[in-house]
This record gives sequence, structure tokens and C-alpha cells, in this order.
Amino acid sequence: MIRVILGSVLAGAFIVGLGLIGLAAGGSRSLNAYLTLSGILFAIGMFGFLARRNAISMLMAIELMLNAVNLSIIGFASFDEKLGPSGSVIALLVMAVAAGEATVGLSIILAIYRNKKTPLVDEYDAMSQ
Amino acid sequence: MAIGPTIPFTAIPWDDALFVLLAGTMLASGLAVVLMRDIIRCGLAMMVCFGSLAGIYVMAGAPVVAAAQVLVYIGAISVLVLFAIMLTQTKLAPARMAFQTQAVPAAIAAVVLLVVVLLAVGSTTWGGGPDRGDTKTTDVATVLFGPFVLPFEVVGVLLLAAVIGGVFLAKRDRSAADRPE
Repeated sequence: MIRVILGSVLAGAFIVGLGLIGLAAGGSRSLNAYLTLSGILFAIGMFGFLARRNAISMLMAIELMLNAVNLSIIGFASFDEKLGPSGSVIALLVMAVAAGEATVGLSIILAIYRNKKTPLVDEYDAMSQ
Repeated sequence: MAIGPTIPFTAIPWDDALFVLLAGTMLASGLAVVLMRDIIRCGLAMMVCFGSLAGIYVMAGAPVVAAAQVLVYIGAISVLVLFAIMLTQTKLAPARMAFQTQAVPAAIAAVVLLVVVLLAVGSTTWGGGPDRGDTKTTDVATVLFGPFVLPFEVVGVLLLAAVIGGVFLAKRDRSAADRPE
């Protein structure tokens, strides 16, 4: 019981500490905060794409990177009145393309899994032999 | 009953507190997606990350995009990813190594990219107003079905092609299934 409470408090402190990055970059009323969050999320996704062994983990990291780009588009759209509602439309189109990408990517992974019986990308070495 | 612009008995504005919570949840669950060993927990953390990102979209004044984020990402893509995880999970997968041997160079590359992006953000003076504007849904509809109607139709065709291609790729080959292994 005490461990659960202590863990929750620690996790809450970690979340607030990470969130203070956004506040330090200017808070919710500045464009820099949105762009900083977007950059951090993109870096996290890039690390995941380069470092994970599982093909589905790599696809999830790609989704994180696409969301980071969407966040920066929304940030620019809300602070530049010339862009205005076009930014929302561009973000919606990016979401539709991301949905198509996820569909085709996951079905390719399933098709490879049916042949190789493993989801780990470093065992897909048929072209290096 | 109206609530004031700041949290009662403190001087902290509501939107700053909400922004800190949403940004922290987004970054923490994003880290959990790439760092946790059990892949099904990675998928669940991804749903949390997308949900808090939808909250940030609302704070940025784009409620239509936030609604689409909840529908498309949390409702569709996350469920698709979870199904794919359950179809490809093997029993000994979480026990084995989750990262490639190149994880340390990948971390260095990600940190370098992060530093470059943050320097670029900090040193650039962006044009545009200092105040954030809210996007009206009617404006989005007018733009989507006005100047953007051709990309809208092309995206429809693209989604149709993606669905047909996905079904074709994931379809079990009947002749191969009948063949004894």
C-alpha cells in the first residue's frame, strides 16, 4: 500500500516536472512552447524508430513522429492568422494519410510475420545472405 | 457558477496548470512508448499519449482536430496496432532483448536532433501575432470544401487504395495454407 502511494507521488512529480519544460518555454500562450513539445516528441519517436527491435514498436514510433509534426502545424496555425483554418485542414489531411500508412504498414508486418514467424526486424535478413 | 481565471487561493492560472499536466502526460507516455519492454503496455501508453495530445490541440484552439485525433488515433489506429501486437506476439518476446545493439548511437542521434531543433526554435523570431486565436468549425468546413476540395478527394481515393491494399496484403494465401509445411 505504501509503495503504491509512493509510486503514484513519484510518477506525478515526474509528469509535472516534464510538463514544466512546456511552461519554461513560454506556456500555453506562446508558439515556442508548442514547437518545443513537438521537437521533444519527434526526438522520442526517432529514438524509438532507430532503437527498437520489434517492427510494431517501430511503427508506433513513426506514429509519434507524425503526431509531433501535426502538433507543430497546429501551433503555427493558431498563432498565424494568415494560416488560420487552413492549418486545421492540413492537420486533418495528415491524419488521413497516417491512417492509410498504419493500415498498409501493419498488413505488411502481418504478411512478413506469416512467413518468418518473428516480429523482430533484425531477423529479416533474407537479402543479406 | 463561474470559476475565476486562476486556481482558488493561488496565483496559478488554470490554463498554465492544465498545459503543464497535459504536456507532462504526453511526454511521459511518449517516453513509455519507446522505453518499456512489454509491447502491449507500449500500445496502451500510446493511447494515453494521443489523448493528452488531443487536449493540447484544444488548448491551441483547434477543437475539430482534437475531435478527429480522438476518433482516428485513439479509436482506430491504436486499436489496429493493439490487434497487430496480439497477432504477432510470441511468448518469449518480452523476455528477450527489446532494443537493438545500436540503441546508444540512436540515443545520441536523437539528443543531437533535439538540441538542434530547440536551438532553432529559440533563436528564430516567428512572424504572426503574439496572441493565440481560436479556429471556428465553420471556417474549417469552408476551407476544406473550398480551396482544399481536390486534396480532400485525393485523400478519399488514397484511403480506398490503402484499405484494398491492406486487405490484399493481410489476406491468407489459400494455396499456401493448404500446402503441408
